[in-house]
Amino acid sequence: MRNAFGAYLRKRREELLGDSPEYSIRKVAAKIGVQPSYISKVEREEVAPPSEATIIRWAETLNEDPDVLLALAGKVSADLRDAIVKRPKVFAELIRELKDAPDHALLRVVREVRDGNW
Amino acid sequence: MIELQNDSLVFSFPEVHPSATLKLHFQRTLRIPDDDSTYPLPPGLGQFPLRHVDDFGGQVPAQWIEHGGVMFPMYQSEAMWICFDSEYDDDREVSYPFAVKIATGKVSAVSGETWKNGVNRDPQDYVVVPEQPWLDGYCVEKGVIRQFVAMPLGAGYTAEEQVTGKAEHGGLQILAYPMKRSVYEELFPKVSERVYQRNMGLSEELSCCAEVPAGMGLAPGGRMKQEIYEDSYRLSDWDLKNSSRCFVHITNSMVWRSITGENPPTTPPTSSEYANAGLPWFEWYDDKNNALPGADPLTGMKSVATIGKEKGDVPLPENASVNPGNVVTLRKDLKPGQVREWTETADRP
Repeated sequence: MRNAFGAYLRKRREELLGDSPEYSIRKVAAKIGVQPSYISKVEREEVAPPSEATIIRWAETLNEDPDVLLALAGKVSADLRDAIVKRPKVFAELIRELKDAPDHALLRVVREVRDGNW
Repeated sequence: MIELQNDSLVFSFPEVHPSATLKLHFQRTLRIPDDDSTYPLPPGLGQFPLRHVDDFGGQVPAQWIEHGGVMFPMYQSEAMWICFDSEYDDDREVSYPFAVKIATGKVSAVSGETWKNGVNRDPQDYVVVPEQPWLDGYCVEKGVIRQFVAMPLGAGYTAEEQVTGKAEHGGLQILAYPMKRSVYEELFPKVSERVYQRNMGLSEELSCCAEVPAGMGLAPGGRMKQEIYEDSYRLSDWDLKNSSRCFVHITNSMVWRSITGENPPTTPPTSSEYANAGLPWFEWYDDKNNALPGADPLTGMKSVATIGKEKGDVPLPENASVNPGNVVTLRKDLKPGQVREWTETADRP
């Protein structure tokens, strides 16, 4: 059940714990709304990553980007999934077109206000 | 390139200069009484929501899709003003200058002439930003405008119908030209270079200041004290090779929800409710710039109340005269993009 997700969460929580006792397993579990033993199992990668909702709460607790944590867990957020399912051709083309572009070329997708005929 | 960001239109010209960015938005406000009095500037009550017309292709007239651009909701007889903000360049301690044409129904709010591309000086048909922080209406006299008031297109009230005799376009049309980069860098040297030039004997003044069913239009409402400034630069200082333009459609707030699924802003308070509550009105002058005279086609327009009277109609409910007792004079050096609202830094007369 190895995945980068658990190791990342553990490393991040331990870094924060160095600065504040608010990041002990017990306190983080209380904030997320799960048992402390579950935190340990996820961090040790003994269980599969949790649900999307739990990952989002985990991200909020550790001040992490939820999309990054979802990606580490091999998931895509529901809103992105919905957007792709709604217009699969457009987004499939867009993602394939941009997948190998360097980060500096992907800083922002800009939507221009379209000027028409007037 | 024009983007929509947080209900503002952002015109950017990175190909001209990194600081060549102009933002503008539309502010909700009180409708001042349409009587014989001339009122101070009313407050800003928040931004109108702006949306791409392309996102509502099935709900807006086909002509709007052909025009492209954006749209926002106004109630009939509601007023509006435009807030301009160009990017502040820290290196030069100045905001990047723009020439901005503003038309309603393709009639210039500054010159009263029908839409022409380019900027024209005789008569001037554009405002200069950042010198002009706001525009509340049509330039009808030197130092006096008639407030922008939303009216249905086709009822005979709009500036477009009064000037052209037709009800074709409605909405607002905006065209922005940045200053040429070479002119900008010459007129506004970097601070370090400016200090050097001062030491060389150049005066600071010289170096800084050398010269549908849902369709609505805008109509001239009450009189307001506001100067529209003469361009102090040369016409050739504007970069006419680089421009961006946007058609801004106005939809009736009553149908905004059926088009977009969003609630429109609430109706603003009346002028008398606002004045009776002792809330502030505003005055702002810039004695470094000259005000334009009223434009003939605009001076000849009749106000909404006058036309209503002639038609036996009451187009402006709650049009009683008011006495704006609390008038705040804003400092000359406004913050970039400053909206008219009471602040600790405002001077009371």
